[in-house]
Amino acid sequence: MLAAFAGKCLGGLLLFCLYLSLSGGSSADPAMTTQDASSQSQANSLTNMKNELNESFLEPMATTQIVSWQTQGRPSDPVTLEHEVSVPGPNLATKESRQTSSQSITSVQYELLLPGASGTSVETTISLEKVVEVELTCILDKEYSYLKSFQVSWKRGNETISHTNKTDNSWSIKVSVSDSSKLGSYNCTLKGEKELSGIFHLQVPKIKGKEKPTISYLRDTAVMTCECPGYTAISWTWYMTNGSKQIVINESLLADRYVISKKSASITQLKILKLTKEDGGEYWCEATFELGKSEGRLELKVLSFMAPLKPFIAIVIEVVILVALIVCYEIYSTKVKRTEAEKEFDQIEHLKSEDGGLESSEARQRRI
Amino acid sequence: MSPPVSSDLGYVPPDGGWGWAVVFGASISVGFAYTFPKAFTIYFKELQAVYSISYSQIAWVTSIMCATTYGGGPISSILVNRYGSRPVVMFGGLLCGIGMVSAAFCTSIMQLYICVGFITGLGLALNLQPSVIMIGKYFLKRRPIANGLAMAGSPVMLCTLAPLNQFLFDSFGWRGSFLILGAILLNCCVAGALFRPIGPGTTSVKTQVTVEGKGALKRDVTEDAMEMSSPTNLPMKNKTEEEGDRDCCEKINQYLDFSLFKHRGFLIYLIGNVLMFLGFFAPIIFLAPYAKHIGIDEYSAAFLLSILAIVDIVARPTTGIIANSKWVRPRIQYFFSFSIAFNGMCHLLCPLASSYTGLVIYSVFFGLAFGMVCAMLFETLMDLVGAARFTSAVGLVTIAECCTILLGPPIGGTLIDTFGDYKYMFIKCGVVMVLAGTFLFIMNYYNYHMLAKEEKERKAKEEDPKTVRTENEGRNNWIKETTQDGPELEPLREEQEGPKKEVNGIIEV
Repeated sequence: MLAAFAGKCLGGLLLFCLYLSLSGGSSADPAMTTQDASSQSQANSLTNMKNELNESFLEPMATTQIVSWQTQGRPSDPVTLEHEVSVPGPNLATKESRQTSSQSITSVQYELLLPGASGTSVETTISLEKVVEVELTCILDKEYSYLKSFQVSWKRGNETISHTNKTDNSWSIKVSVSDSSKLGSYNCTLKGEKELSGIFHLQVPKIKGKEKPTISYLRDTAVMTCECPGYTAISWTWYMTNGSKQIVINESLLADRYVISKKSASITQLKILKLTKEDGGEYWCEATFELGKSEGRLELKVLSFMAPLKPFIAIVIEVVILVALIVCYEIYSTKVKRTEAEKEFDQIEHLKSEDGGLESSEARQRRI
Repeated sequence: MSPPVSSDLGYVPPDGGWGWAVVFGASISVGFAYTFPKAFTIYFKELQAVYSISYSQIAWVTSIMCATTYGGGPISSILVNRYGSRPVVMFGGLLCGIGMVSAAFCTSIMQLYICVGFITGLGLALNLQPSVIMIGKYFLKRRPIANGLAMAGSPVMLCTLAPLNQFLFDSFGWRGSFLILGAILLNCCVAGALFRPIGPGTTSVKTQVTVEGKGALKRDVTEDAMEMSSPTNLPMKNKTEEEGDRDCCEKINQYLDFSLFKHRGFLIYLIGNVLMFLGFFAPIIFLAPYAKHIGIDEYSAAFLLSILAIVDIVARPTTGIIANSKWVRPRIQYFFSFSIAFNGMCHLLCPLASSYTGLVIYSVFFGLAFGMVCAMLFETLMDLVGAARFTSAVGLVTIAECCTILLGPPIGGTLIDTFGDYKYMFIKCGVVMVLAGTFLFIMNYYNYHMLAKEEKERKAKEEDPKTVRTENEGRNNWIKETTQDGPELEPLREEQEGPKKEVNGIIEV
């Protein structure tokens, strides 16, 4: 039990560090992990755990935060976080630090442990919403410290970046991500007896839309929600695809039919009133971050009320038929029973007129 | 062949034949009543977005539905006592359908509360109680099996209703789904149609009481078409008492038998069950969140519930068969208390499960225990009060349980929120259930003891010769033979007056 609790504390501490790594004010951040849907829900569950831990832990603040990943994935697969490694959440720490030093840009560190469980290459995706200074570090697993001679190079595309040797077996670069041009894939390569590489994908946070279409009915209201959990978008824009064109949904244009509301820092909602058939189709919600824009796709289907009415009527007819069948069968079997009973009654009368009363009951009993 | 009159019903239940159709109908009704609130939660997210409300506001819908389903028990009992099961179930099915169809056109959350919560809940209440009552009317010797099979409808319906709801929602949105769900709930009317009325007058000629004259025979044949599912007390009293001579209490008791509160077995059952329900439903509700909390992904957590449901489907009829065996049936109350305590033990051991395999094992045992308890829930009550008074008993029990059923999950939720740990909720549920099981065990031991004593006293009294004794001796002999109706002897005593008077009347003729 104690070991488990200690393990929980350690996990919580790690969790906490991870949270501090990214600035942002909302609950859970799956974008940083992978595109795996299940990890998102992991994120949610772990957020709760982290929330609980946040209450119990005090939060010493530092402007530098450390994030590290245990690389588990297959080569060139995005790294899937283990259960113990957590996802960022409410980031009180960065807020505080920002308050104390409003001019300074937060600096974040990201580490990758090389190599992965199998293979020679690992990747990770980092979502950034604000201007930050990022320090990317590749650490060589001590199991491989026997590899003595190797060349380390950091590249972005074809461009080589000069790096610093942090320690004997870790190398890092500092990137000032001040605009969207600095986003992209940064990779560190260790060339030696073995070639190992790690890739950091820096990108804007992904928007969570809805894979399944939203279904609504004519003259009804449709509500579509977009969110970027864990991050704060500066502004949101909604587009509608008409044919091949994207039309901005300008609230002032069709004020009576479209209502765009900002539910919270990371959630936006589009409400369409009095739907018509033409309202069906693709919709895009676009979030603008400091470092760029990100889009999410939603689909709206508008049905007429005839659509569910057909199965409804079919089932009602089935119910009526079944009830009628059962009642008819019952009336039929009651009639049969009654004729049988009357026959027996007549027989008993006949028997009684012949013998005494007791003998007739005995006969009936014997028949039973 | 053993003498036909075998219970306080005044007739011999068929124990088969059309009874199996009734079991099928009952399983449909019971399934809808128990699983509909659970399956409804799929719509929460969408409704929250459409009406811009919080989770707790939308969760009120299912709370109101559950409250009405359990709280509507006495209304159900009164209506069944008055009109019989079949009309009540069909009306209930109709209500459910109307409720859901009107919910499809709702424009505010208040209307949803009324349509889905209140109307559908009431319809489900009118479905649940009569179904269970009908089983008691159609089965005696095989009643535990019938109960087990009927209650097995709940997990089966859950396994079908949950994916069906998801499919409907993906294809038709929430309004269309409500419309179609309304139609699906109308199938409760089909179940109701299967509940062919049965009673002393409607059984076949072959199963009549032995010594009868032609007068009795003719009377019963003409009574065939009549609804005779009201307790036998009623027609007997009509014959022997004057019309306007009933006092107020008896009139009320005719509709809802409040004299049950003087019944020792009923009180034991009531207290034990009210205590048990405090910790009964909370673990199911919090199993998936707990799994996610300790780091299991959403799909595996949902799979845990599926495992629970599958084990449940198997456990309920099996428990029915075990409870029907000649070793267990006379002491079925002990089996029931054991299964409650077993359930509690599972919850107490759950916090030790920290991996997915541990949780799977917990789910299996929990499913088993849950199925055992549910299968015997109504069987034990029937066993204690007898089938005739069961109608009122079930109504009174459900309205009493209603409070603790609704309190259980919020208390668990508060525990989780205060301590930040799920284990206290499991410990609370485990302790409550173990306590309930022990209480029921001890009190039923006392009850069996008292019943045996009363039986001895009654036999001693009836040794004196009186006018028409053939009937009673025959019945006593049968009672000695089949000890499985031990706890039902108490109500049997009252019922003996009835048929005896009937026999007297015939002989006078």
